[in-house]
Amino acid sequence: MSEDVLKNSQSLKICHLYPEVLNLYGDRGNIKCLSQRLAWRGIDCTVDQCHLGEKKDLSQYDIFFIGGGQDFEQEVLLADLKSGKGDEIKSAIADGKVFLCICGGYQMMGHYYETHDGVKCEFLGAVDFYTKGGDTRMIGNYAFECGVESGGSTIVGFENHSGKTYLGKDVSPLGTVLAGFGNNGEDHTEGIRYKNVFGTYSHGPVLPKNPAFADTLIKTALERKYGSSLLEPLSDKFEKAAHEKILQQVLSHTTSGD
Amino acid sequence: MHKKHSKIRIFLSVAACRFTRFALRVLHRGGTTLPGRSAMFFDKTILEVVSRDMEIIVVTGTNGKTTTCSMLRHALASAKINVLSNLSGANLLTGITAEFTANASLLGHPKKHYAIVECDEGALRKVVPYLNPKCIVVTNLFRDQLDRYGEVMHTHDVIAKGIKLVPKTKLVLNADDSLTASLGENVPNPVEYYGINVPYGKQEMGEISDAKYCIHCGTEYKYNYHTYAHLGDFYCPKCGYKRQTPSIAVTAIDKIGAHGSVVTSSINGKETSLHVGLPALYNVYNALAAVTAFDAAGFNKKYILRSLSQETSSFGRMETFNYKNTDMQMILVKNPAGCNQSISYMTSLGEDYTGVFCLNDKTADGHDISWIWDADHEFVAEDPHCKHIFVWGTRSEDMQLRLKYAGVPEEMITRVETPQELIDACADAGRPTFILPNYTSMIELRAVLGEATGKKEFWKEQA
Ligand SMILES: [Zn+2]
Repeated sequence: MSEDVLKNSQSLKICHLYPEVLNLYGDRGNIKCLSQRLAWRGIDCTVDQCHLGEKKDLSQYDIFFIGGGQDFEQEVLLADLKSGKGDEIKSAIADGKVFLCICGGYQMMGHYYETHDGVKCEFLGAVDFYTKGGDTRMIGNYAFECGVESGGSTIVGFENHSGKTYLGKDVSPLGTVLAGFGNNGEDHTEGIRYKNVFGTYSHGPVLPKNPAFADTLIKTALERKYGSSLLEPLSDKFEKAAHEKILQQVLSHTTSGD
Repeated sequence: MHKKHSKIRIFLSVAACRFTRFALRVLHRGGTTLPGRSAMFFDKTILEVVSRDMEIIVVTGTNGKTTTCSMLRHALASAKINVLSNLSGANLLTGITAEFTANASLLGHPKKHYAIVECDEGALRKVVPYLNPKCIVVTNLFRDQLDRYGEVMHTHDVIAKGIKLVPKTKLVLNADDSLTASLGENVPNPVEYYGINVPYGKQEMGEISDAKYCIHCGTEYKYNYHTYAHLGDFYCPKCGYKRQTPSIAVTAIDKIGAHGSVVTSSINGKETSLHVGLPALYNVYNALAAVTAFDAAGFNKKYILRSLSQETSSFGRMETFNYKNTDMQMILVKNPAGCNQSISYMTSLGEDYTGVFCLNDKTADGHDISWIWDADHEFVAEDPHCKHIFVWGTRSEDMQLRLKYAGVPEEMITRVETPQELIDACADAGRPTFILPNYTSMIELRAVLGEATGKKEFWKEQA
């Protein structure tokens, strides 16, 4: 079969988990970015939403996206996870499906969130890490370098969290902080990479300005599904301009002024 | 006079404020922070002195503060009432302090009796204990400038804290906004609600809602009808929290036009036709807020009902400039809800235009610009009347990227480096131009456009 025929038959299914709750800080731009970059390469893509209380066969999807939400709404979501969806998510992870989890959605993958006054809020526990409430808000543009297993590219984004995340022994960070806080502001780690789960604090949204990272997710999903993944390069002129602009600013510790 | 305010401190405070303000103006700078800081340097709580015994209306909320204040100001002017008011850029404690202090005698006595104060949501609790306002208006709550306030619930809570400090102040609240309306629950304050009693627009909520779940029990709201964004006749099917019946309401929408609206209103049971001289539905809400506050503060409604029809666009808010024979309308846009409203206005007019999006990420704008991805720029991309787009600002690279993913072809987007380059390019294109800037980019652009077209700088406008 020639390369062209093979490519035209390829398709990916994306599932946006809890879009009505975890949909802040422009994070829906990530879905837009994935589906556009697939469309520009002639790869079929469908995007479904899976809402609170909704029953869906999660095994049919290749990429899952979970965004960040308001604290107030996170409680609603935990109840839904416990009613069975959580187990389906865990088996999708075991199956090597690609997950992109941002901020609140990222924290949710860990064991628990411990508040200031020692109250533990049980989370999904799909990946070995936990988060503790901190005193200061870690906020601002930041940059980190992905590990080679996650593509090795440099990522710029906007972090805004007070929770400090600490990784278990067998979990790798998504990358190393170049400037900013990252997971906890202490150990220079940012995010997680476990199987094909990519967790990060980066809003922005993270994918449009970091096209190499977006393509890493796409490649990982295609490889899992088809065993190969040759992605046509895109021009990425605007993408690179936005990336470079904020990277220079972050690395030189400057802002746009008052 | 309180013991803590010595006469000499008050004198120094007023003098310092006036001097720095004068000096800044001589230097052609419109700064508002420095005069307030110098006043507070000599007397930290000078605001309490220089606003003593005044009758004050405070307006806060995410969108519509400036317009509502301007409607109130014009109504009072038409009643020949001399009123003190601050500018939109000076709505924090320092700016408000500067305005009141500069308008007091050297002994600290206020020279005017009435004031209309625009107040930032986060600053409300710092300001109201000193001002002791007659009434506080909360226009609406949307997600805005995230990195400064955290989340919309946080904004809600800090406003509630401010209200708690003034239990006698009358509250004027938007009944159609579940977040705002809840501020009137379980408080000793008298409350007046305003709202729109009829549906408007597509009866579906966009993908993004800033208040989808009941503030009390977390259940998803149901709606009898929508007006815009998360506003409408909401109710919680579980705990029963629902929209209050407003005392001042729109009962029929006769016309929402590009240059103004005509609606039928019910004011305390009496039906009246209401003309609002500003386009778009959100200005109908602003008009309702202004009428309700005017009434709540004890003024005769006839003045505001008349002056609303003469309302024209103010500073940066649908203000039109004519530069080299090209009409350029500037619409300030700071958050997804406001942006969507402006886009729907621009795309509804049915004529060819040039679109301009200006995006800065300075402190007053918020360093986080991710909200542009929550606004529906897709509607611009789909609009055949949009012939070209220019982008400018410290984050113009992000803006053009957003537009690309909205579906605008790259070659239809031009990024420019300076405001002068921007307005010249728009004039060369020769089409009517709609400029959607965020806060500091609006200020910068306004200065250049004002200069080029002979309009006054903003701090001179109220003089
Ligand atoms: Zn409820």
